[in-house]
Order: sequence, then C-alpha cells, then structure tokens
Amino acid sequence: MNYLWHILVMISIYAILAASLNLVTGYSGLLSLCHAAFYGIGAYVTTLLMMRAGFGFLPAMALGAALTALISLAIAIPSLRLRGDYFVLATLGFQVIIFGVLYNWVSLTQGPYGIPGIPIPVILGIPVDTVFRYALLSGALAVACLVMIRAVARSPFGRLLRAVRDDEIAAAALGKNVPRIKITVFALGAAFAAVPGALFAGYMRFIDPTSFTLAEAIFILSIVVIGGAGSLAGPVLGAAFMVLLPEALRFLQMPDAVAANMRQIIYGLLLVVLMRFRPQGFLGKYGFE
Amino acid sequence: MRSTRRLEEMEATASSVVPDAPPVVTLECVDLVKNFGGVRAVDGVSLSFEAGKVTALVGPNGAGKTTLFHLLTGSIKPDSGAILYRGSPIQGLPPWTVAQMGIGRLFQDVRIFPNLTVLENVLVARPIQRGERALVSLFAPRVVVKEEADSTDRASEWLDRVGLSEHADQPAQALSYGQQKLLAIARLLAAGSDVLLLDEPTAGVNPMLIKRLLTIIRDLSGGGRTVVLIEHNVNVVLDVADWVYFLDEGQVAAFGLPQEVLSDPVVRGLYLGLRA
Repeated sequence: MNYLWHILVMISIYAILAASLNLVTGYSGLLSLCHAAFYGIGAYVTTLLMMRAGFGFLPAMALGAALTALISLAIAIPSLRLRGDYFVLATLGFQVIIFGVLYNWVSLTQGPYGIPGIPIPVILGIPVDTVFRYALLSGALAVACLVMIRAVARSPFGRLLRAVRDDEIAAAALGKNVPRIKITVFALGAAFAAVPGALFAGYMRFIDPTSFTLAEAIFILSIVVIGGAGSLAGPVLGAAFMVLLPEALRFLQMPDAVAANMRQIIYGLLLVVLMRFRPQGFLGKYGFE
Repeated sequence: MRSTRRLEEMEATASSVVPDAPPVVTLECVDLVKNFGGVRAVDGVSLSFEAGKVTALVGPNGAGKTTLFHLLTGSIKPDSGAILYRGSPIQGLPPWTVAQMGIGRLFQDVRIFPNLTVLENVLVARPIQRGERALVSLFAPRVVVKEEADSTDRASEWLDRVGLSEHADQPAQALSYGQQKLLAIARLLAAGSDVLLLDEPTAGVNPMLIKRLLTIIRDLSGGGRTVVLIEHNVNVVLDVADWVYFLDEGQVAAFGLPQEVLSDPVVRGLYLGLRA
C-alpha cells in the first residue's frame, strides 16, 4: 500500500511543478529551462529555515516561496529584454548557476554532501510521519496549488498572459506593460515551484544538489509539453504519466540496469513521436512554434 | 525648396477655407528624424493632427508613413525631434505608456490575438483592470467577477458597434481579414483611445466591409476623436479625410484639403503614376 501512496506523493510534486511551469511556458509562451532551480531553492530555503531557524514546515514553505519569487527577479529582469531563443539560453544559464551555488556554497548547503536529517513536517500538531499521511499532505497542497493556478489562468490576468503570448506588440499597443506582466508571471511560477521543493525535502528528509539539475528542468518541461501546454488538466495528466511510466516498466520484470536506460529511450521516443503527430500534447490547445 | 513653398501655399489656402472654432491639436510632431543605417526614413517631418478631424497620410511606398506611426506610438525612438500629445512631449516613452495616454493604433497587419475569442480580444483592451493584477486574481476573486461582468457588457457594446456580436465566442483567427480589422477597431474603442492611428484600414477588405469601416471612422471623428489614416485608396481619402499630408522620401511634400492635394500635378506624378 505504501508503494501507491509513494506514487501519489511523487505525482503531486510533479503536478505542481508542471502546472506552475505551465503558467510561464504554456500560457505566457516563455520557454524556461530553470524551473528545477526554483524547485531546488524552495527545497533548500525550507530546509534551512526549519533546521537553522526553528520554523515549522508550512511557515518555512511559505517564506521559501516568497524568497524564490524574489530570487526569480534576478533572472527575469535582465533576461526578459531578450527574445525567443536568447531568453531560453539565459534561463539555462541561470539553472546552471543555481546548481553551481548549491554545489559549492558548502557552509550553507553542505555542497555535494547534501543535508541529511531534515525534520518531519508537523501540521496542526500532527506529525506527518507515515507515507500515507505524507500522501494526504502533498495531495492537499497539490489541490490547493492547482486551484490557485486555475484561478490565475482563468482570470483577466490569465487572459492577458495569453494575449501577450499571441502578440506582445499588439498587447503593448493596447497599453499593457508587457515586461512587467512577464516578470510577474515568472515570479508567480517560481513561487509555486518552491512548494513541491518543500514537499520533496520533507518527504526524502535529505536533499542534495543532484535533484535540481538541468536534466530535472528538462524533465519538468517535458511533462508540460507531453501533458499539453496552456491547458489546466494537461500538467496533471503529464505528471501522472511520467511518474507511472517507469513504474509500469518495473512490472515488466526488466533488470534495473536495463529499465533505467529503457525509460530514457521511451521518454525520448515519446517526445519525438508527440512533436511529430500531436505538437500540442495530450490535452493542450497550442503547439510550440 | 519647391516642396516647402508648396506647403506654405497649401496651408494658406487651407486656413482660409475653415472659418469655424479654432482647431484643437491633439497630436503633433516637430522636425522628426529617424535613420535606419544609412537610410533617412523620416527626414525632418512636422505634422499636426486635430480633434474631430480625419487626417490622411498619403505617399508612395517607402515614404516613411508607417515609420511615422512607429515613432508616434513609441515603438521606435526618433533620432531627433519632438512628439507632443496635448502639448506634452512623449518621445522616448515606452509604447504601453503612450497607449495608456490615449494614442491607439490599428496595425497594417491587424495583429489581433488569434487564439483568444473575439470577445476576449476586446476584453483585454479595457484599460485599468484590477483583475489583471496577479495577486488580485489570486486572492480577491469576487472583485474580479464583478469587474468582469461590467467589462463584458461594455465589450459586447463595442462588438455590436462594429457588427461582430454574432462572432463573440469564436476564436479571432476564424474571422475574415476584413472582420479582423473591425475587431481591431473595436479593441481600440474599448481601450478608450482618443487618437486613432489607422494604418491602411481598407486594404484587403471587401467593399461591403469598407463601407461599414468608413461609417465607423466618420462617427469617431464626428464624436471628437482624432483620426489619422494611412491610405492608398484615393476614393477613400476623398471620401473621409478632412486634411491630407503627402509624404515622399521621408519629407512632407504637400499639405491641404484632399481635392487640392490629390489634384496637384506633382502629387499625381509621384503617387498616382500620372504624368504631371
């Protein structure tokens, strides 16, 4: 049974990651390769606030989200003047820098050794100390985040994002401050990405920089693309699919060494086939130009 | 030299024809210069546009008309010269600030939002929406619902005005080219623009819709708005324009009433390809 709850925790984490990236990439058309950096910043800030400042899990997470949004401005403000491909490269650079900081700022992050012994989250006096309880916590946070992201997407702000995505010159000519809109959605996406970071840290009770690499950022982006950019249910379906796929392979009785490689091959093939025949993903409305 | 004298003559005739109340100049530019590399696209242009009047900019391709619109709306910055909106300089301001002040633009290539519905295209244009603030949309949904209901009513009125109500829920990309132009105008109206810069509004539009467009343009200027249009169709210029500027090679070559400018032998030679 614990196995199923574990899968639910992982799906919740990736669903929030994909849904928050979807605000940035799907709705606003800003292809970003640094979402794992925000995920990692959320995880480290929450962990450090809990372990060094004695914060509870939820306040640490909330503060982590706010700080992650603030740090996202450091990339957003200089990079949003860049167009298209150059913006993507800037986010890639930021991802690499954050990984480098987490890896090398040993006095704060313990670098490659990682941080063990992260305390068990306690919510309303109840320790979340079983996988079942953790599945409830992460499921509840995922639902809360998805409801909020849906509210944003369906609001006039969400409409504005889609307008900027369609034609930013026309949006500016209608009096819309396009750079400010992009910076806002980037910060919002970063804040939401910090939540699964906190969940991951509290669940594993150990974090190190290898969970927050460029490969992870690409993985999150591929969930958005496969699920369907610009749709509300797409990222959830994509997350479920991408988490369940390796689990399904496990039941094929494949040796572990083969399964890991098999998984990479299947992911790759899937992306190629999807881009050829259904560029908008399973549930998405728009393809990538 | 010749062109300057012509301009003065034209202005003299023009002012003698209009005895009414003093004109209110809403938008003007003075000695505007813009170079692209070695090409002087706009070469010391001074223009002024009046409230309640339709002013047409005509001239051959490459005369600098669209570049002027880019300059007036803040899309590009002039190398020198001034742009004044109701007397205050606006050159160097970003395009969204210029638009917020009330200068709206219809693009030559329309630039609707193709994946938004027709109604959403108009809704987006409404200025100062609290629901467009991310945190309000997140934490104060009730404010947004009320504001949206109000916005939707108004947007529907604008759609009605341009005759696109029945298409409200279609994606904008499903409209014909002419309908997209009407939608773009509805968007400008919803944005509350006071000065309307229309870049070839009738190009590529079928005659039925041209008629509807011209009625709207006349109504707008009749209601006190400043309308400026770039137009190649001589009949349209004669039909709706109060004033005409003729531009050639980045300079104002002539100014005056439409009949005068368009019957000028030099203009006919340059623009209409007729021998002077």
